[in-house]
Amino acid sequence: MSRPRLTFHYFHLMPWPDLPPDFDEKYDSAWVTLPNSIYDPEKGHALYNRYFDELERADKLGWDSVCVNEHHQNAYGTMPSPNIMAAVLTQRIKRARIGIIGNALPLHDDPLRVAEEIAMLDVISGGRIISGFVRGTGMEYFSYNINPTLSRERMNEAHDLIIQAWTRPGPFSFEGEHYNYRYVNIWPRPLQKPHPPIWMPGTASLETIDFAAAHRYPYMTVFMPMEQRKRAYELYRRLAEEKYGYEAQPEQLAFCVPIAIAETDDLAMKEGERYMMWLFQKAMKVPTEFFMPPGYMSLRSIRAAIENRASFGFANTTFKELVEQGVVIAGSPATVIEKLSYYTEVLHAGMLVTGGCTDGMPDYLVLKHQEMMAREVMPYFRQQELPPEPRPAEIHSEPH
Amino acid sequence: MTEADRAGGRIERTIEVQGIATHLFEAGPPTAPPLLYLHGTHLGNLWLDYHRLLAQRFHLFAPDIPGFGLSERPDWMHDMSDYVLYFRDLMAALSLERVALVGHSLGGWMAAEIAVWYPERVSRLVLSNAAGLRVKGVPMADIFALSPQRLLETCFENLMAAAPLIPREINTDYFVRLYAERTTLAALAWNPHYDPRLARRLQRLNCPTLIIWGARDRLIPAAYGEEWQRLIPGAQLVMLEGTGHMPMFEVCEQWVAHVSAFLQESQPQEVKPS
Repeated sequence: MSRPRLTFHYFHLMPWPDLPPDFDEKYDSAWVTLPNSIYDPEKGHALYNRYFDELERADKLGWDSVCVNEHHQNAYGTMPSPNIMAAVLTQRIKRARIGIIGNALPLHDDPLRVAEEIAMLDVISGGRIISGFVRGTGMEYFSYNINPTLSRERMNEAHDLIIQAWTRPGPFSFEGEHYNYRYVNIWPRPLQKPHPPIWMPGTASLETIDFAAAHRYPYMTVFMPMEQRKRAYELYRRLAEEKYGYEAQPEQLAFCVPIAIAETDDLAMKEGERYMMWLFQKAMKVPTEFFMPPGYMSLRSIRAAIENRASFGFANTTFKELVEQGVVIAGSPATVIEKLSYYTEVLHAGMLVTGGCTDGMPDYLVLKHQEMMAREVMPYFRQQELPPEPRPAEIHSEPH
Repeated sequence: MTEADRAGGRIERTIEVQGIATHLFEAGPPTAPPLLYLHGTHLGNLWLDYHRLLAQRFHLFAPDIPGFGLSERPDWMHDMSDYVLYFRDLMAALSLERVALVGHSLGGWMAAEIAVWYPERVSRLVLSNAAGLRVKGVPMADIFALSPQRLLETCFENLMAAAPLIPREINTDYFVRLYAERTTLAALAWNPHYDPRLARRLQRLNCPTLIIWGARDRLIPAAYGEEWQRLIPGAQLVMLEGTGHMPMFEVCEQWVAHVSAFLQESQPQEVKPS
């Protein structure tokens, strides 16, 4: 079977855009400490359902998947339990895959619950689940009070447990440093074989790229300048080739990039500036201490992050600069195709993760964006297909 | 012993303890009573006035706790019990049969734990602005949420006294070292940031104990000093006015005078465990 040059994944953060007018002066963070009195459940009810409608439209318009994720105690994304969102989507989304990108494994003391829930969702959805695994942002280690120095170990161990729970006949025992079960024997088992596809979104940690490359999991770069994305893909490709002995394929390299699309470049720039800056200037407002709790990153990664001036927020960056740096894409369909072609042709990255309204963008504009992407951008990439690629062998960790 | 530097009566050396290259300062008359000083977070590899003054009366040992200063923390070391065993071996390596223990902040928590587990090794105990306890309704500041600047502002009442802690150059190495030290603190004290079992165990202490505190401490409020005194049989409490979390920096002579007077009391009163 031939493969599309680029697949399209509609990703929603489900943010809380309704911040008080004095947010900039009064609050130093949209995470952890932003008072939850700002959240209005009545409005939240309408907002959740509006967001679900938006994802449903993406399905009807032909996106390959709709995606949700996990964040806690913040205005950036109001989905503390992504599996609940995915459960709703199994009933609303009739065709596309449903991506949970992802469950923040180290935050949970019982990863077996994640294995069970993903298996349930996979069975309910008829095998349409994509299961992302993440560590969660640094902020979440404050919100859940999980020791960030154990983040990596818990991530790796929880991953091993979940993969085994999905693939090894139960019951069996699992004896780890952090997780220990006498009986692993999940009911139901996932429908997809050997298990739902796994994605790994990442921001800056070198270890995550290595882990993804080792397991041949797609690695997704999130909100970062093109230079940083290039470095991440180069590292993935190099590790794949030199350390793990295979050639990385386009469907292993995903990029999460917000896109403002309109009839002309000028209009796209105007709309993007009006509706996207909320995400970068307010929703991502976080003190460094919350973003990089001690031990969350290895010393090697923290040094690289400081030297590359990596940051979560883009508080002092203009929209024009975000476009120039490749953090976001803005333009007419022709411009968007040209920019996406850079990813497919030059970087050989084959999965676009984008979409999702932020900052209370009016729904007719969201619809326009969805339709232009579906009708004027997707067909271009779907006409050009890649030759079939043999399925890479699954490598699993040793049983514990 | 890899290195010895006899400058100003002070020996600086590195000894192996549990395979950990431990950097330490040693000073004072070898015949004087031994004193083991355990520093707080970010306060390793320092030789300041309070060290000098203590070394006038005591045989002072001031090691860098693994993960701070020049002593590296191996990955396997991430629990208070690892540190208690480490210090037990450090004392053996230094031939310290029985020692006066003085601990500040995180070092105070460690000193209290050592005294709980090895009471026969501790002649007298001084806890200054010590972490380790929980006082319900009086939360400690969240040190992990504070920037380096805010941390200094929270710890010091008089920022001039923080001069020895300001690096000559603020560069990537400085931030990486700070991050590494915070990582050690997080390994020990992210969650919980106290030991819920310690309060009960403190009844076991049977050595004379001094609790000394800066009344204005905004990191670990004075109520914690009162709690230590309440929980440790026979403990004395000295509350120093006009200073906060860093009394040995801000009111150095006063702090040393209290500590020295307590340690030099001629007849140590044996306190019966209750």
